Formats: sequence, structure tokens, C-alpha cells
Amino acid sequence: MINRTYRVCLVACLVIPGLVVGLGYSKEPASGPVPTVPSASAQTELTPEKAFDLMMQVLTHKRCVNCHPSDDYPRQGEDSHIHNFEVQRGPENHGVAALQCQTCHQQENNNHSGVPGAPEWSLAPRKMAWQGLSRVEIAKSMLNPENNGGRTLAETVHHLTEHELVLWAWEPGVDANGTPREKPPVPKAEYIKAVKTWAAGGAPIPEE
Amino acid sequence: MSDTKPKKKFSRRKFIIRSTVGVGVAIGATYFTRPLWRRTLASLANSAETPYMGNTDEPRLWFEVTAENEVILNSPKVEMGQGTFTGLAQIAADELEVNIQQIKVIHAPTDSGNIDGMSTGGSLSISGLWQPLRELAATMREMLKIEAAKQLGAEVTALSVSDGVVSANGQSLTYGEIVKNVTEWEMPDTPPLKDVSAYKYVGKPIPRVDLKDKVLGAPMFGMDASLPGMLFGAVVRPDQVGATFVEADTSKAENMPGVVKIVTEPDFVGVVATSRMEAEQARQAIKAVWKTDRNWQSEDIEAMIKVGQGDPVTIQKSGRAKRILNNEEDVVTAEFTSPIGAHAQLEPNGAVAHVEGDKATVIMSTQVVNLTRKEVADRLGLAPEAVNLIPTYLGGGFGRRLHTPNAVQAAVLSKAVGKPVKCFFNRKEEFQNDTFRPPTHHIMRGKLDENGKIKAIEHNLSSGDVMFGSPMFPGIAEPILGADIGAWRGGMIQYRAIPNLRTVSWRVKLPFATSWWRSLGLLANTFAIESFMDELAIKAGKDPVQFRLEHIQDDEAGYRLSEVIKAAAQKAGWKDEVVNGRAMGFAASTDANTPCAHVVEVTMEDGQIKVQKVTCAIDPGMAVNPDQIRAQCEGNIIMGQSAAMYERMIVKDGQLLPSIYGPYRMALMRDAPREIDVVILENGDAPGAVGEPPMGPIGAAIANAAFRLTGERLRSMPLVSS
Amino acid sequence: MTISFNINGKPTSLDVDGDTPLLWVVRDMLDLKGTKFGCGKAACGACTLHVDGKAIRSCSYAVKYAEGKNITTIEGLSDGDQLHPVQQAWMEEVVPQCGYCQPGFMMATAALLEQIPHPTDEDIDNNIVNVCRCATYYRMRKAIHRAADIQSQNAKTQTS
Repeated sequence: MINRTYRVCLVACLVIPGLVVGLGYSKEPASGPVPTVPSASAQTELTPEKAFDLMMQVLTHKRCVNCHPSDDYPRQGEDSHIHNFEVQRGPENHGVAALQCQTCHQQENNNHSGVPGAPEWSLAPRKMAWQGLSRVEIAKSMLNPENNGGRTLAETVHHLTEHELVLWAWEPGVDANGTPREKPPVPKAEYIKAVKTWAAGGAPIPEE
Repeated sequence: MSDTKPKKKFSRRKFIIRSTVGVGVAIGATYFTRPLWRRTLASLANSAETPYMGNTDEPRLWFEVTAENEVILNSPKVEMGQGTFTGLAQIAADELEVNIQQIKVIHAPTDSGNIDGMSTGGSLSISGLWQPLRELAATMREMLKIEAAKQLGAEVTALSVSDGVVSANGQSLTYGEIVKNVTEWEMPDTPPLKDVSAYKYVGKPIPRVDLKDKVLGAPMFGMDASLPGMLFGAVVRPDQVGATFVEADTSKAENMPGVVKIVTEPDFVGVVATSRMEAEQARQAIKAVWKTDRNWQSEDIEAMIKVGQGDPVTIQKSGRAKRILNNEEDVVTAEFTSPIGAHAQLEPNGAVAHVEGDKATVIMSTQVVNLTRKEVADRLGLAPEAVNLIPTYLGGGFGRRLHTPNAVQAAVLSKAVGKPVKCFFNRKEEFQNDTFRPPTHHIMRGKLDENGKIKAIEHNLSSGDVMFGSPMFPGIAEPILGADIGAWRGGMIQYRAIPNLRTVSWRVKLPFATSWWRSLGLLANTFAIESFMDELAIKAGKDPVQFRLEHIQDDEAGYRLSEVIKAAAQKAGWKDEVVNGRAMGFAASTDANTPCAHVVEVTMEDGQIKVQKVTCAIDPGMAVNPDQIRAQCEGNIIMGQSAAMYERMIVKDGQLLPSIYGPYRMALMRDAPREIDVVILENGDAPGAVGEPPMGPIGAAIANAAFRLTGERLRSMPLVSS
Repeated sequence: MTISFNINGKPTSLDVDGDTPLLWVVRDMLDLKGTKFGCGKAACGACTLHVDGKAIRSCSYAVKYAEGKNITTIEGLSDGDQLHPVQQAWMEEVVPQCGYCQPGFMMATAALLEQIPHPTDEDIDNNIVNVCRCATYYRMRKAIHRAADIQSQNAKTQTS
């Protein structure tokens, strides 16, 4: 008798149980360059100028700049290569018609696939392009209402310190190989404090 | 059906029972290692027709007639996209006298008794089965007619048959009705076959028989298989080249949720769990220790793959090419390279296995049904007959599924837990445990005479192994052949009117697995030879199409090659000039007796080559299904373009990388040519190879077109314009 | 956690870890095998299905996000026996070879036609970036244009 075909049988009640890998920042092993954490004494003397330096160490980091490209292609990876498959910005900065950021990127990092995620995952608008800009140029652009979406300084500070997509930089998850992504060189709390100190000090931008 | 042993006489068909294979190589190695004999063997291997190697010519093991008047065709060949099932259905329907809709082609499980002796590969399925399947189908039809005659009370000669209904004297019976009442089959001699012109299906562009299932997303692949009570397995594998397993600490994994058992074998550690995710997580928790002797880098591999290193064998020699090229002035020399290539088929390798006491069932996609069964049986200590291998549709083959250790691993895990186990590679494992297309290095030398014709030409090629080391071939083949047939496939000079020609194949053993990749050495070897032909044509100041035609010998193979060259050039409107920023490139090859020529049209976009159009002419001898031949040409052209322009595996700190699509850059929709024009010639008397020959000329044709556009001669794949 | 959604029009409730990729819920728990595993890294597109009409790569989509949503897989793309225009076009152009990646491509194409009923070649290039190793791209492009024609023809028939 010929065994004519195999039957794909339903596996009833197959339970896919709990996943033990957490998403938390604290569980990830450290990676990348040693953060340049200011000493305690330096922190107590945080001037707007020093705060600017700390803030810019973060804003020029690839976790930020990869999604502030100057062209229509997001960057990815520690080497900031053009995003795989040359996915594009699209008319509203979240991809093209049927290939949106949300086709792959969801509200959180996905530790199974290594695809990063956060609310409103998208590119910064073209006017907020930072790629290739100096610190001073980035700062000027950031404060220019024509480029920053009409934000006041307070609103800009809010974006920089409260927006979940921005703060994702400190919870960047793992890549496709399971390797933790590099975090910005300044811890989140220090960065937030620096942004606020800089703003409170009149948001000074140094001469180039 | 009756179990009575039929009495029958078969005609001499192109059909070899597996047990006779190997006799030729068992005679003794010493004599045959002589250079002349090796060249003779190589020449035979290059152009011989390969017969079908099966284990049965019993029609009832090939065809099963159902009560619903369907004919189930138990195919010993597997379907991996190449369209074989459709071709077999066409051939069988015509001789069986049924409507093609009545034929259902399935993969023959090994317990059906119909087992392919070798593999599905080499573009040999339709060509190898053309004669035997027609004879089997015709015999089956006559068997049905003999029984119908008895049941209808009529003479066999008075019967008419159409769409599986036999009629006489105003009465009729379906094949399904006939078989119900057969107690003992009578076996006729093989009847005469119909004239090809009388066929209704053969030669027509019949839609694929698996088309609707594939459009509906039917569960037809190995990865879709499951069995009741099935568990999930995962195996710990090294990600370093040359790593061997030492030991593993499994203590953490043992206590993880869902883990049923950790299985430690001499050569691997595996885990069985109740779900895929649990198995994967437990695998990651196993700390395995591997031993590696060396931290390999790409530079190490490149240094190994060089003409002049390893063992040379002269596989083609005519006249005095070496003496001329070593001693005369004005010799043209050029070097070419190709990188390590991954298969990257979409369905990962894996299997569902169920070992129950002294028998086992394995469901999977494999190109080597019989060999996989044997490997599983050997590992379990069972006779091959105790293992039923149930092949499924393949989510891509391309030679990758000629190695199937996954089946053994799934079976070992299943035996350990006494339940069915499904165990598949993840994508990283798939990339890092691939059996890669070996990297190659080529040195071409040539000399023109005073009339601008080639006086002498030589091809030295260095390659990692393709056939050697493959479980498909006995180890004794290595010393006899000396050179790896797979590595030098397409490496001989096909322009035999050149008075002095020579091809030397250098064998290099690499520290990672290299093996069969669609068309084997054909893509890289043709890239070197046909790029060099272009260089010689330019040096001779001749049109490259005419230049090729000038060097083709006057015989059947030469005639067929000339015809495809002329057909491609004519259809494409060949012009050896740049028009509106667009240039053409030409190349041709002959593989498994099927000549093929491509005209590629390219432009430059953002500093990179863009393939706009490919015109292809191919002569498979005879066309069983012109639409599927077109599909194979289209697929080969784009897959070959992908390999020639974008793909490259590297070795970095002992790891084979990349291990994911994207970084392993392949042709996408945006890269594929917008126009592909295929011309099919039929200058033979039987269907020949189609699934690989169109891969041959694509790399050279692109490089030749790019040279015309930019003046830059690209001699290394992937072809990147500077 | 208990997660409820509609899949191919059918209300479904499951007790499952919320971080499980939707792909494995669909394939292993609901036994809908048309959605394929290719890479598990959202790179190849073989696992593409629709969530509320939009193309999603299900290997990288935690099932918890599907709560209350409408999921369509290749099995639910057709309307009973009536094939979706994309499937009809795929049949007419005889697109599949091995067939493994094709459901993902068809789902991506169906989502594209929802957004752009008549995509240009450039739209196709930019939106359809799935991977097909048999390299059926040439026929797929023809089939995508053909599907657009079938769809607009159907729309005209319905409105007239």
C-alpha cells in the first residue's frame, strides 16, 4: 500500500509558554565604549557649556543620528550603514505605502528578531536632518523653529528628555545576532540633567 | 491491486538500476589515474547523457489508479520549483491517455517502493525520465486495456481510449472502474510509443500542476509538516569554521520551562522541548565547548584558492596550447575570481522524525531521498527498509538539500524521547552551516594568430571542492578522477575549432564545507572564459558574436551552439556599441548538452551597473513545457545576476558571515531586469537539461556589457563598478 | 495571558505568552501553515500577513499587539472560492516556482494595492522588498500590474 501523502496534523493545545528574556535595560550586558561619566565633583559644577558637551555626545551618537539622516534612507547598525533593503523615508517619514516602519518595528524592541521598536518609530523629518552636521549646526537647527517643527525651547527640551522614541536610545535592545546595541556614551539621567541645565542656562551654542 | 509478480519483457530503456552504479569505478584506481584516462573520463562526464537511475520499472509502483479515475503518479524525483512534476504529468498523461487534470503527482515515499537511486539534481529529471516514463505509462495503459477487454468482452484492438475511459461496442469503463475488478495483472511487452507530434500535452505551455496549491499557501513543505504529539528540537552548533565539539554544560538548560530532554551525542548536543521557543531558549542556555585550530580570515581563504596551489589535473587538451603560450610573444593573460556563495533558499533545512522501536518515519524536503534514508538508518542501526522517508515539496533546493544531516539529528532526538520531533535550522545556522559554492580563481591565457583568430587558449581554474567529499559519491572517485567534476563544470573551452586548447583544474580543500550550488562551477568558469573571449575579440578587432562563431567546430554540438548564439543576437538586435547610455554584452555556454546564450543590456545608475534587459536563447533539444523552460531561464538569469553582482560570504575571525538576508545582499525586485526575452530552439531529438544551463553566461554577459559602457573590465565577482 | 483577535474573519482567543511572535501562534497553535518562516529577523518577508489591513512581518510582531485586531493570512486572502485579484494574477502569470516565499509576496502585494491601486514600476520596487531565491521577480512584477487591473475591473463591475 502506498502511503499517498502525509497529513499535516493539528497539534492541539500546544502551549507556547513564557519567554524568559526580559527587555529591561538593567539586564543587558554592558557594551561599547566606556561611558564618559563626569566625576561627582564635575557634576556639581555642571555649567551650560559642559552640559552642551554632554548633550551633544548623545545627540551625535548613532542611536540618534541613524534616524536623523540627511537623505531618504534610514541608517542602521553601529557602522550606520544604509538600512537593509534600502527602505525609504516615504512622504510622512514612516515609510512608503505598504512598507512602513511598522511593517517590522513595533512598540517595543523584539528580542527574538532583534528588530528594535518604540512608540512612533519613524524618521526625523528632513528638516531635522543631523547626519553630517557639526554639534553647533545640530544645535542651531534644533533651536530654529523653521526646522524643529515650531517648537519652543521648552517643547524642545520636552522632546529631548521625555519622548519615548528618544529615550529608546538607552534601551536599544539586541541586534539580529543577539548582540546588545551600543548605548549613548552618557547615562540617561546625566543626559536629561544636561539638557535641562543647558536650556536653563539660556541654551548657549558655542562658536565653531 | 494484485501482488502477483508480473511477467514482462521491457525494451532496452535508458534506465539503470542503482546497484550497477559504481562498477566502473571499482575496477582499480592505479590504472585510471593516468592523465590520458582522466581526460577521457572528464570528456565523457562533460557530454555524456546521464541515464535515469531508479530501483524499479514496475508500472504499478509508478501509477496508482483511484476509484475516482484519478492517476496518482508516484514521483521519485522531487519538486523544488524547477517544474519537474508538471513535465512528468504531461509526459505521463499523453501516454496514459488521460486528461492532465486527472493526474496527481506526489512525492513517492520510500515505502512506496519507487526510489530514485541518486538525487534530484543536475537538471536531469525530465531528460532522464523522458524515455522510461513514457514506456512505463504506455505499458500501464496497455495493462489497463487488457483488463478492460476482458471486462467488456472485446478485443484489445477494438478498444478506444480517451481521458481515462475505455470504450468498445457502445460500452465504456473508466480506468478507476477497471482496476476495481482486476485480480491478476497481465503484463505486455513494452508497446510502441506515440510519435511526439501526436502528444496533446508534451510541448505545450501547461500551467504548473502545483500552481493553485502554491497560490493558496497550502501546507506542502517540509517545514509545514507535523505529527500528533510532536515535540520541538534544537541542536547546538558551532559558529566557527573548523570547530569540533568537545563538551557541553547543559545544567542550566535542563531546568528551563518546557524542556523534555537534553540529548548529548558524541558529535552534538540537542534539546527537545514542548514548543519551538522553549527549545530555542534552552539551546541558547547550553554552554558548549568547541575546539578550533585556527582563527580563519577571508585573506587566508583567498590565499589558498590560487591557480598553482593544490593538485592539478588536465581535463582538456588538444594541440600544444601550453608550449605556444609559454614560448610565443603577445600572449594575453587575465585573472578572474569568484567569491564564496550561499544557497540562501527560503525554507531552512530540517526534518520531522518519529522513531518508534525498530522503525522510523522522516518527513522533510530533500534532494537525496535514498541517501537521507540510508544515513538515518545507519545512525539508528536499522535497515534502510525500516525507515520510511516521506519527501515533501522543497522550499528551494539549488543543491543545498543534497546534504541532509538534519534528518539524522531529528531522528536521534526523536529516539531519545520516543515521540515525533521537529528540528529545523534557524536562519543564522542555515547561513553558517551552508555547503557553500566554493570560491574560485582563474587564469586565462590566449594568443591570436595573424588573422585575428585564436591560435591557442588555456584555462587554469582553482576551486574548492564540489563533488569531492559529498556523501553522494564514493571516496574512490577522488583518486581516479583527480579533478572535481563539479568544480570544473563549464570549465572546458567549448570553441573546439581552436587548434590548441587546454584546461587544467586545480583542487583546493577548504576548511569549511563547499559543495553543489545550482550549476556548480558553470557560473564562475563561464564568467572567466566568456569574459576572456570578449577581451580576445576586442583585441582582434572583431564583433564578439562573429568572433565566437568563427571558433565553433563543425559537429552537432557546434551547430546547436552556433544556432543559440545567432538566435540570441538576432532577437536582441545585437549591437557592439553604446546607444543612449545603454550597452550590450554577450556570452554563451554549453552545460549538460544544452547550449545557451545571453545578450544583456545595462545602464549606469548612481554609479552602479543596472541590468535592464536580458535576451536568452536556449536549446534544450526538445521542449516539454515551453512556459516552464522560460520560467527556468528567467529564474536562472536573475539568480545568476544576484550571485554575479551582489553576493559574497566572507570569513572574519573564524565566522562565516553574513548570517542574515540583507547584509547577504541578493537581487530584489528593484534589481531584476524589467525585460527578459527567451527564445527556445529545439535542435535535438529528446528533452535535455534546463534547470541550470541558463545560469552559465549571465555573469560574463553582464561584465562584458559593463565594459562596453564604462571601459572598465570587471574580473571579480561580485561585479562592482569603481 | 489571554489574547483575542479575529483571524480570517474568525474570532479567536488564546492563552499564550504575549511576547510570542505572531508567526508561531499562527503556524503552530492555529495550524495555518501558509505564513512562512524564512529568517525570523523581519528580513525576508516570507512571514508577511495583514493586521488591520496593513502588511506586518509576523516573525517580529509580538502576539500581544494583535489584541482586538483583524488578522488576515494567505488562507484568508481569498473570499471563499473566489480568489483575491492578486492570487488570480499569480495564477494567470504562473508566478511560483518553489512557492515557499510566495504567500509573503502576495500578502505584501495585496497590502500595496490597498494603498496604491495602480502602482508604477517604481512603486513596486520601493514597496516589495521581500526575498525570492528562485528569483521569480520578473513574473511577479507582471502579476502585480495584472492584479491591479483585475482589482479595478472588479471595482467597476461592482459600482455599475
